[in-house]
Amino acid sequence: MNDSRTLRRSLPGLLLAACLALTGCDQDAPVPPPQAAPATTETRPAATGGDAPRLESLASLDEQPLARRKLDIQTWQTAEGAKVLFVEAHELPMFDLRLTFAAGSSQDAGTPGLALLTNAMLNEGVAGKDVTAIAQGFEGLGADFSNGSYRDMAVASLRSLSAADKRTAALELFSEVVGRPTFPEDSLQRIKNQLLAGFEFQKQNPGKLASLELFEQLYGAHPYAHSSEGTAESVPGISVQQLREFHARAYAAGNLVIALVGDLDRAQAEAVAAQVSAALPQGPALPATPAPEAPPAGKHHIEYPSNQTHLLLAQLGIPRGHPDYAALYLGNQILGGGGFGTRLMEEVREKRGLTYGIYSGFSPMRAAGPFMISMQTRAELTDGSLQLVQQLVRDYLAEGPTEAELERSKREIAGSFPLSTASNANIVGQLGSIGFYDLPLTYLEDFMGEIQTLTVEQVKAAMNKHLQSDGFVIVTAGPSVEQQPLPPPTERPVEQPSAVPEH
Amino acid sequence: MHLTLRRAAALLLGALYLPLVAATDSQPTHEFFLDNGLKVIVREDHRAPVVVSQLWYKVGSSYETPGQTGLSHALEHMMFKGSRKLGPGEASRILRELGAEENAFTSDDYTAYYQVLARDRLAVAFELEADRLASLKLPVEEFTREIEVIKEERRLRTDDKPNALAFERFKTVTYPASGYRNPTIGWMADLERMQADELRAWYEQWYAPNNATLVVVGDVTQDEVRSLAERYFGPIAKRPLPSAKAPLELDEPGERRLQLHVNTQLPSLLMAFNVPSLSTKADAHQIHALRLIAALLDGGYSARLPERLERGEELVTSASAWYNAYARGDSLFMLSAVPNVQKGRSLADVESRLWAELDLLKQHAPSREELERVRAQVIAGLVYERDSITQQATTIGQLETVGLSWRLMDDELAALEAVTPEDIQQAARTYFTPTRLSVAHVLPEESADE
Repeated sequence: MNDSRTLRRSLPGLLLAACLALTGCDQDAPVPPPQAAPATTETRPAATGGDAPRLESLASLDEQPLARRKLDIQTWQTAEGAKVLFVEAHELPMFDLRLTFAAGSSQDAGTPGLALLTNAMLNEGVAGKDVTAIAQGFEGLGADFSNGSYRDMAVASLRSLSAADKRTAALELFSEVVGRPTFPEDSLQRIKNQLLAGFEFQKQNPGKLASLELFEQLYGAHPYAHSSEGTAESVPGISVQQLREFHARAYAAGNLVIALVGDLDRAQAEAVAAQVSAALPQGPALPATPAPEAPPAGKHHIEYPSNQTHLLLAQLGIPRGHPDYAALYLGNQILGGGGFGTRLMEEVREKRGLTYGIYSGFSPMRAAGPFMISMQTRAELTDGSLQLVQQLVRDYLAEGPTEAELERSKREIAGSFPLSTASNANIVGQLGSIGFYDLPLTYLEDFMGEIQTLTVEQVKAAMNKHLQSDGFVIVTAGPSVEQQPLPPPTERPVEQPSAVPEH
Repeated sequence: MHLTLRRAAALLLGALYLPLVAATDSQPTHEFFLDNGLKVIVREDHRAPVVVSQLWYKVGSSYETPGQTGLSHALEHMMFKGSRKLGPGEASRILRELGAEENAFTSDDYTAYYQVLARDRLAVAFELEADRLASLKLPVEEFTREIEVIKEERRLRTDDKPNALAFERFKTVTYPASGYRNPTIGWMADLERMQADELRAWYEQWYAPNNATLVVVGDVTQDEVRSLAERYFGPIAKRPLPSAKAPLELDEPGERRLQLHVNTQLPSLLMAFNVPSLSTKADAHQIHALRLIAALLDGGYSARLPERLERGEELVTSASAWYNAYARGDSLFMLSAVPNVQKGRSLADVESRLWAELDLLKQHAPSREELERVRAQVIAGLVYERDSITQQATTIGQLETVGLSWRLMDDELAALEAVTPEDIQQAARTYFTPTRLSVAHVLPEESADE
């Protein structure tokens, strides 16, 4: 909720006016780019045969394993029971602190919006300071406070310079904000109004409407069913007393993971974690989220006067830490993960021009998160597109990936590993996930290693174990118009592959 | 609270340049030209064994003429459709297989392509990028299908997004004289009649090494980059370029008012003043004063618009101010807001209240505390920016491509320090006038008026 548009962002902020190739020309598009470019059809195995690569740079790549930034993850518990994960990084005079509480909307307990409102109200008041004084405090130190609330988790973060004077003052204020918020009544009314305005804005966003409906249909009575923002019916009645009670339970030190990266030594890091932890309510972790039940397959339509129809297809996937995750991740990368070069992107966008983008993915959560496919197309091609996507999934589950697809995706995942820990921001995100989902400290290496051992049969078996081609909950949002047949696909002449060398 | 603020201010005054010196010392940046005119900028960042490579072309939608809007963006899409060594989409497939992130973006002043990848693989990014600069294929059958994708993009990003649609219309009014009025994605009518040979001509006009800047940031040295750049980009011949005229606007076009009805539930307000940019105004103080004004109004949760309008008076549910100083031509100072309809506030209320804020800037100098907060954020921001190699490269590429120097990013603090409270008042008086103003009232479809 803390929207810190600062002067320092004004240079990169120019990109507000930019038009990303595949991500569009939105003035207000903060969506992370799926990738930019389209990819070719993959009818031949890639790196085989005697064809000399046409790219000399590819031919000269050696087979050494890639270097990456070393992560020495240190971990301990605070006296109050918060788990800490810390990586020293002295290159820049700054640090990132991220608190992740198991305090997302799955803990709303019948009051949708409670978790989000509690999180949004943290920086609205502490003893002796109102919301503006708090904002002035952080901004006067050059510190960034941010917060956010999702289904599993609520997050509060601090980025600050590491010089002792800045660090001490920023941490003092941050600890007060997270640990002892006063939840002023007038702020609550204002933030409720802003949420209600947000609900009005949602009505002009068919993609959002489709997504809300999808989660309702997919999760039924499970706490993941409702949106973290709550509803126009539930939000007005939430009281300060409810926020206080929620904070006392859910923002307890025992319900927290602290991720810390930056220009601190171990002793300083321990002091930081101890200070934050001591400021919090004391208490244990909240009970785990129950497992959801699989919903009936079915199709649901939202009538909406747009040019395009939004299509979402989903079924239940897996929880975090599931032993099949590596196989499913690899399987999905081939089907529709990450942008160009996937089966879905190739068939739906590249060969037929039906959409700007189509993506699929598993979102593992504390309980089983969704597997979802999303796309948009002009309204008159909705039915044809839906049938095409379903057929592509059916074929993939029946046949599994090819050896060549599997090898390419393995190389891709290995190659992208150095990027995943390149910045402090990347690392603090990884630490937060590892800690929150209780994964081993060697998780990143383990995952990379496991990916490389997987076979076609294992990937196919895992995909079929978790997905049923006729098991989708489908939601469409768009206008009802007369349907047209799909244009025929283009079959490109088969290009000789450029032969990325084997590792 | 005041204690904390004063203490912060005192500390800042005492040690203003310290973090900066520490920050810039370890960030060597080099620039050089190849013989064919390609400018190369290398910024070393050895924290992780990764590198970002960006190639920026000086062409974008502000270069386009009526009837041909969207050419630069469509060409960007077609750059992924094959060149001499590569089939359609093949470069993306190769990069994906290497685990690289890649993308491209088009704006009014530039078109840029980038790859982020393990440092050992930089040569591949260069070879692919050089190949499509030198020998794009532009197959007609690929274009026929890709233009459908671009239309889907337009429907998704603009036609089905009421606020984006309103902003597109508004821009045509704010820029009466220059190509900045063109939507980067192009008007639908122009997409419908776009031809592959127009793209061919656009490519041949603008895609030359002497019209591009290669920016590399990451775990590399100047020598490595120079040798790779010479090997892959060096052989591409320099070409004569059309003259590119800066998009100049009328200083005071006169007040323009627009009422737009779109498929929205909530009304919103857009205000824009025609103002110069750093490229079109000789006196940089005035430009940096406008940047400071944007920060005073909206540079954080404690800034004036959120503090006074959003929280204090609860007049708006959101309000923002922004100013792009780094354009090739004249620019806009923009304000936007959504009235708090739960409190019965109207667009007219909000418009007059925003004017009151602007008038305040003309009459009273900002407080020292306010300015110190802005400075503190700038100082910290210079450090934080360096956590992302992509952000560093983007800042460099953007500055260079609009005709400014990348060195501005390292001079940021000095530039803002040089602005006096009088400069701020002077800028407000000069630029916040009805003769420079465009206003749009964006309203729900049913409502005839607010």
